[in-house]
Amino acid sequence: MDNAQHYFDQLLFGVAPYLALIIFFLGTIQRYRAQAFSYSSLSSQFLENKRHFWGMVPMHYGILFVLAGHVVAFMFPRQLLAWNGHPVRLYILEITALIFGLLTLLGLVTTLVRRFAFSKLRTVTSTADVVLHLLLLVQVGSGIYVAVTCSWGSSWFAASASPYLWSIITLDPDITYVLAMPFAVKLHIVNACLVIGFFPFTRLVHILVIPNPYLWRKPQVVRWNRAPGTKG
Amino acid sequence: MIGIENKFNKSTQVKRYRDIKFLVGALMVLGAFPLVASAQETAAYFKQNCYSCHTIGGGRLVGPDLKDVSNRKDRDWLVRFILNPQAMIDRGDPYAKQILEEARGVVMPPVAGLSRDRADQILDFIEVESALEKSQFEGMKFSDRPFTPADVALGHALFTGREKFKKGGPPCISCHTVRGLTLLGGGRLGVDLTKVSERIGGRKPLSAWLVSPATVTMQPVFRNNPLDAEEILPLVAYFEDAAKQSGDDDSVAPLAFFLMGLAGMVLVLGLFDVIWKNRFRGVRRPLVAGGEMRTSI
Repeated sequence: MDNAQHYFDQLLFGVAPYLALIIFFLGTIQRYRAQAFSYSSLSSQFLENKRHFWGMVPMHYGILFVLAGHVVAFMFPRQLLAWNGHPVRLYILEITALIFGLLTLLGLVTTLVRRFAFSKLRTVTSTADVVLHLLLLVQVGSGIYVAVTCSWGSSWFAASASPYLWSIITLDPDITYVLAMPFAVKLHIVNACLVIGFFPFTRLVHILVIPNPYLWRKPQVVRWNRAPGTKG
Repeated sequence: MIGIENKFNKSTQVKRYRDIKFLVGALMVLGAFPLVASAQETAAYFKQNCYSCHTIGGGRLVGPDLKDVSNRKDRDWLVRFILNPQAMIDRGDPYAKQILEEARGVVMPPVAGLSRDRADQILDFIEVESALEKSQFEGMKFSDRPFTPADVALGHALFTGREKFKKGGPPCISCHTVRGLTLLGGGRLGVDLTKVSERIGGRKPLSAWLVSPATVTMQPVFRNNPLDAEEILPLVAYFEDAAKQSGDDDSVAPLAFFLMGLAGMVLVLGLFDVIWKNRFRGVRRPLVAGGEMRTSI
């Protein structure tokens, strides 16, 4: 039984991340080569735009902030621990992260309800969309649960999860960092692997083709040609 | 010519003899090396995983003194206990329950990388060390000077992270809380440390435990960032003080934290609504709403 558990842990935390990354890279490259124009989020704003706003805006700003936080903790764990060295700063960071986590959850729930509440949207919803939605709900839900019940995540992420992730990146996986973590934390890690592995087969690929140059390109003047004598 | 040949043969024979002697010596050294390495490795493993709670001949810490432990129970029982102490307690094994009582209810945590072979190696190692007049694991020496308010203050600063650990370990607040710490308390990934001093059994066992925290969660974190002796003393002072003070119950802190997050979320949603107040709301909807108004008038 102990041996079986040992191999199961190795599989979940030592092998699954690599499988997910391999599928991610090969899948996204192949999809871009074969179906470059499918790299889109397939917006449905045209079909319904009221709930769309209260789903898309909180979800996107929420997930961008939370993901950026994960990346910062991964890249600069010592600096993050130094910031958290004062409890007030720690609380400010944790509450802010929780706010954006809750915004993400609210956005996800709104978009899921919206998808099933309108027949037009049900028509343009694929099985991959539903699976992705559920995976993201588990991911964000477990993240919030961990943030509230296993505090303070920003600090122990820097101390435990960051070295674990670095061990994965440097091809020397050390799963001892995560072996004794609570179930919700393990679920968050394993589900993250599922999201990464499922990424190339979903609308999430639009993340890879965000028109980032819009942020720094020169402003463009848009001219309208109107008939002489018309107002506006 | 013959003389030269003999001389050559003799020198060749001597060289061969030397080579064989060197080879035999090298093989003996190489043959013995795994044993030496294994003993060293077991000693290192014991130091990393067992020494924070057990001595060999130095009296009990959190767990019992392991000198001559093989005389107390047979090898099979000991191996089973080392591999899964909780299961032995749950099964109602009388000796396992006695150990638990003597340890003030502290169950031996699961040990990382432990297998049946490793447990056997450890028990062999303890037998060898027990036979020595003075084991290298007889116990660590800690200062027994009385704690001062400055020690408690420094311990508090180390716990919260205001004062950094010299080797770079994360502050205790990351995972642990102590009652009456601050507004939202400390972390809740690990156990509440308010009464840790009493639970572990006092100053010496707690100091020994902090030298090399042996829980599966803490070990990888502090393996390369151990606490310094000058940091352990103030931390123990702080824990002893916290046990005496036993501040207010802060079990509502997670709920308060969640509610703060929820309130913040509502504020941000309001902000979104203001920022995008001129967002496109459709063409048909205002027309339909206007039409309905006209009809009702």
